[in-house]
Amino acid sequence: MITVGIDSGSATTKGVLVSNGKIVAHTILPTGFDFILAAKKAYIEVLDAAGFDKEDVDHVYSTGYGRKNLTFADKAISEITTHAAGVYDLYPDVKGIIDIGGQDSKVISISKGKVIDFSMNDKCAAGTGKFLEYTSRALEVPIEDLGNLALGSKNPASITSMCTVFAESEVISLRARGFNKEDIAAGLVESIARRVAVMSRQLGLQENVAFVGGVAKNTGIRAGLEKELKISLYIPPEPQITGALGAALYGSG
Amino acid sequence: MQYFKSLEHIKNSYNGRICQIADYKRSGKKLVGTFCLFVPDEIIFASGANRVILCGGRNDTVAIAEQYLPRNICPLVKSSFGSIINDGCSGVRSCSHFGMVDMIIAENTCDSKKKMYEILNDYVPTHVIDLPQRPDGSTAFNYFLQELDKFKNAMEMLTGNVVTDELLAKEIRSSNEIRELFHRIYEFRKEDPPPISGTDVLKVLQKQYFLSSEEIKKILYMLINEIEMVKQDERGKPGKPRIMITGCPMSGGNTKVPDMIESRGGVIVAEESCTGTRSFWDLVDESKEPMVALAERYIKIPCSCMSPNLRRIDNILELARDFKVDGVVYYTLQFCHGYNIEKHKVQQALRKAGIPMLFVETDYSSADVEQIGIRVDAFMEMLS
Ligand code: SF4
Ligand code: SF4
Repeated sequence: MITVGIDSGSATTKGVLVSNGKIVAHTILPTGFDFILAAKKAYIEVLDAAGFDKEDVDHVYSTGYGRKNLTFADKAISEITTHAAGVYDLYPDVKGIIDIGGQDSKVISISKGKVIDFSMNDKCAAGTGKFLEYTSRALEVPIEDLGNLALGSKNPASITSMCTVFAESEVISLRARGFNKEDIAAGLVESIARRVAVMSRQLGLQENVAFVGGVAKNTGIRAGLEKELKISLYIPPEPQITGALGAALYGSG
Repeated sequence: MQYFKSLEHIKNSYNGRICQIADYKRSGKKLVGTFCLFVPDEIIFASGANRVILCGGRNDTVAIAEQYLPRNICPLVKSSFGSIINDGCSGVRSCSHFGMVDMIIAENTCDSKKKMYEILNDYVPTHVIDLPQRPDGSTAFNYFLQELDKFKNAMEMLTGNVVTDELLAKEIRSSNEIRELFHRIYEFRKEDPPPISGTDVLKVLQKQYFLSSEEIKKILYMLINEIEMVKQDERGKPGKPRIMITGCPMSGGNTKVPDMIESRGGVIVAEESCTGTRSFWDLVDESKEPMVALAERYIKIPCSCMSPNLRRIDNILELARDFKVDGVVYYTLQFCHGYNIEKHKVQQALRKAGIPMLFVETDYSSADVEQIGIRVDAFMEMLS
């Protein structure tokens, strides 16, 4: 059985092709303005990478914020359910998931791959990739470097604003007060880690927690989160594709 | 789902009711406006006055209110206030009944309403019923009884009629009859699949404080007849996740979250709210002295402005059991501190009982429909 999962996210679109329960190929591309086009592209790319044709595919399942508008998909499933299934496939003993995406962050509590509770922040940019994007811009460092920069700090600055707009001006005033970049970066990492940690404590996550989503690639953030939660996190080799993987797995039943 | 003719009736009842009120006022009778379930209808009707609910569910009058009120208070308060003071110059049309009331019967419940009433009094005469904050004990009860007496006097002053025990007893019977009819509707909802959707029931619950008692009774009888005729194969699929809503009221015009729940695979079988069970669950004891019986019934309404509000948690657990609820959607309006804070206790109780809960905090705009949609989708997938 060959199935494809498409995760139509707000920042990136992901595709995974699964054959008999095993990942054969995956792709990640920026969503851009036209998310339907991006999803179609992801579908074609993942087929090409796996060397299959559309005719070979039994089912296409979609997930992510554009999930309901992909006419070529057989079924749409929410990304909370698909992340749980995808991560469970990689780590059968997983009990919790932290997902920090471009526009939202979610924490999911799971048991045997099934969601038992979840909490989501998508109303404001606090605790999301957007927070890092804006504040690292104010710091004038590329977002990829923010985490590593933070690791070099000896005396993290304290960033008190959860709100992205205010945190941005806080960064500027910290710079004006002579804080170095490392310390401000560490303050930002701490701030996002604190925010996400509150959500995971609300759900009672304690151990066997996976960290997924684009931000999970950032080693500094990962370290900050581990410090805040006092646990070590599972990080999938490709943390961005667990939603698409879960969708593909649901497609194979 | 089933199509009910009686509900079509409700949809078209607005204009008829406005004409009815206008006639009513022309004949010299009085109309009062209320905001809250703590105000006993029976006393209003016994004085010969009529009543309409003033709780606003529309988003467009919020902006009018924000010229006077802070932005960070609940949309229900803002929408209501905006509708009442709207003079039409703003270009926003609010429903005409808001401008027709002779007096407002308010109540000291949450802070936002309490302080809003002070301003409202500059526009429309407003009588405020003060509520004890502890629902139990004789001090609270006696105080509430006194407050109801003052309210009765205010109604007598307004209408020039005397509110006798006989008149009260008659109105208590009539209101109890409505409550019994709602109980019958809720009984149907215990079935799987229920013969009527939650959004349909909500429409009746929302309209009960706008229409006259006679009208609402007529609609309820018609609806019950229609529900009894629904055949098994005309219902939706069995086995859908059975949802109970609990939390803030959903005023007329606001069906955002229930619509989402039922269009995304769930079926709402009960709502523990003021547009739900709290409006009809307890009856007034007809064997007792009317004012005492009224005070006893009304002080028990488990609103989050009461402290502690343990009765609400008991009710939620009991309803969840009786209606075989698979999951609870805890619904709050933004900046409604009472219900938002009480969430914690309810969540704990539900966890202990093994019932999943989804928390949805929202306002009257449609900006968050997609964001709530994904939570609702995930919740339904989780319960399936
Ligand atoms: S929620 Fe409380 S304040 Fe609001 S209508 Fe109900 S009883 Fe009154
Ligand atoms: S919803 Fe909450 S804040 Fe708004 S009027 Fe009712 S009790 Fe007050």
